[in-house]
Amino acid sequence: MAFITDDGDIKITLPDHVVARRFDDSTHGLSHCMKAVDYIIEMKERIVFLEIKDPDNPKAKSENCTIFLKSLRSGKIDSELKTKFRDSFLYEWACGRTEKPIHFWFLIGAEMLDSGQLIRRTESLKSQLPIYGPAGKPWKNTFVAGCLVMNLSAWNKQLIDFPATRLST
Amino acid sequence: MGKITRLELENFTCFAKLDLEFSNGVNVLIGVSGTGKTHILKVLYVACAITVGEGKDRDYMDKLRGVFSPYGGELQRLCRHPLARDALTGYSITIARDNGHKLAYDSLGNKGFNVWSWSTDDQLSWAEDALESVYIPVKEMLAHAPGFISLNARREIAFEEIYVDVIKQAYLPKLKTLPNPSYEKIFKDLSKAIGGEVILKGEHFFLKTEQGELEFSLLAEGLRKLSLAWLLIQNGSLNPGSILFWDEPEANLNPSLLGLVVETLLELQRQGVQIFLTTHNYVLLKEFDLRKKKDDAVRYISLFREKDADPVSSHSTEEYSAINPNAIAGTFDDLYDQEVKRSLTGA
Repeated sequence: MAFITDDGDIKITLPDHVVARRFDDSTHGLSHCMKAVDYIIEMKERIVFLEIKDPDNPKAKSENCTIFLKSLRSGKIDSELKTKFRDSFLYEWACGRTEKPIHFWFLIGAEMLDSGQLIRRTESLKSQLPIYGPAGKPWKNTFVAGCLVMNLSAWNKQLIDFPATRLST
Repeated sequence: MGKITRLELENFTCFAKLDLEFSNGVNVLIGVSGTGKTHILKVLYVACAITVGEGKDRDYMDKLRGVFSPYGGELQRLCRHPLARDALTGYSITIARDNGHKLAYDSLGNKGFNVWSWSTDDQLSWAEDALESVYIPVKEMLAHAPGFISLNARREIAFEEIYVDVIKQAYLPKLKTLPNPSYEKIFKDLSKAIGGEVILKGEHFFLKTEQGELEFSLLAEGLRKLSLAWLLIQNGSLNPGSILFWDEPEANLNPSLLGLVVETLLELQRQGVQIFLTTHNYVLLKEFDLRKKKDDAVRYISLFREKDADPVSSHSTEEYSAINPNAIAGTFDDLYDQEVKRSLTGA
């Protein structure tokens, strides 16, 4: 299957055995009190919570891009991402859908970000979402199995079975 | 004054054939260890040092020997292939300036083994137009300055001349006035970063702050390095028209200070200082990319070997994103790949 992001400029194609559903939409039903990640992707061995921001989208308003990039660089966005992940996790837990390890991927359509910055953003996000429990020991139940911050280049390099393409180019 | 515009090397140290064109502003040399970044700085520095001060009467060859300090003082050891050092194989160095002057050195000359010659003009015409310059080496030397110059004058010590030269420049008395308000701002920013001012007692440097006077041997190395920059601004060594060679400015500096270093270098470039620096540091490189303004002249020169045993090649660009190969960013690519792998596998 394939899906196109809300902004309409990134298309992600998934292998046959992988299913994605839009999570942050009108069917969520609790958006007045719970934040939500954009998509939930279910694979055989894991579940991925996927959040997407696309400042490189030619249709994106420059003022919004500026605000987003400022939030990204300052690390302020990590706080928002943390809340989105936690609320989405609780929602899915309450629905009984958290048996598989859950990973959090943040796809940023911003090719200006290089590996150094992606590492830093990944580390920063990880610091908000503890992979390990108190005193660095594993949780009895996994909360978040892994975090990744990627741009389109990194996504396509690392996830060759999930090609992401920009439609406007 | 005149900027350095071009360097050609043939069969010199790790270079079989190198032809570099330089920016009038900042030239950033990157590459893994052993790709000749420091050699380029030294070759150019020698060409500047023979045009001013004590070095004005020296031959290029003689200064080259002092700056490179080859074993036994044998300049033939600077030839690229070790086996060729004993054979009739030579090397050449050609440096050009924007005033039309050219300095060309051929280790064989027209006479054969180990005889140097100038193949164009002559050294006198090159030295007619002074090239004020400073070479800041990786190792910090101000803490070791007391007695060093007199020791070097009397004894054979295994220190390259760049160390003696930079200490002598640090000892120069301060200018009565700085050249312009931009220099005053640079000076003020550096003063703030070091937390005071540098004073000299005899041959000993001290940092004078509100807390008192601290000798350089007790000062953090990063602060000593910034203090040297402070001194060179204060005494006019980095006035407009001069050339700064800085080998690994990041050495011993906390990354949080590199923004100030880059801002200082960019401002000096705007004031007409030509700058050559080497770096292994991602933060320094990225700071240039982020702080550079539209009219700033910054050129990145990547030095690399296609294969391990190959001579060093180069690629120059004025766009950070076009640096290729980028040995520093490449390291981060590897780290990021490992980070992704760990995240995906849960290891």
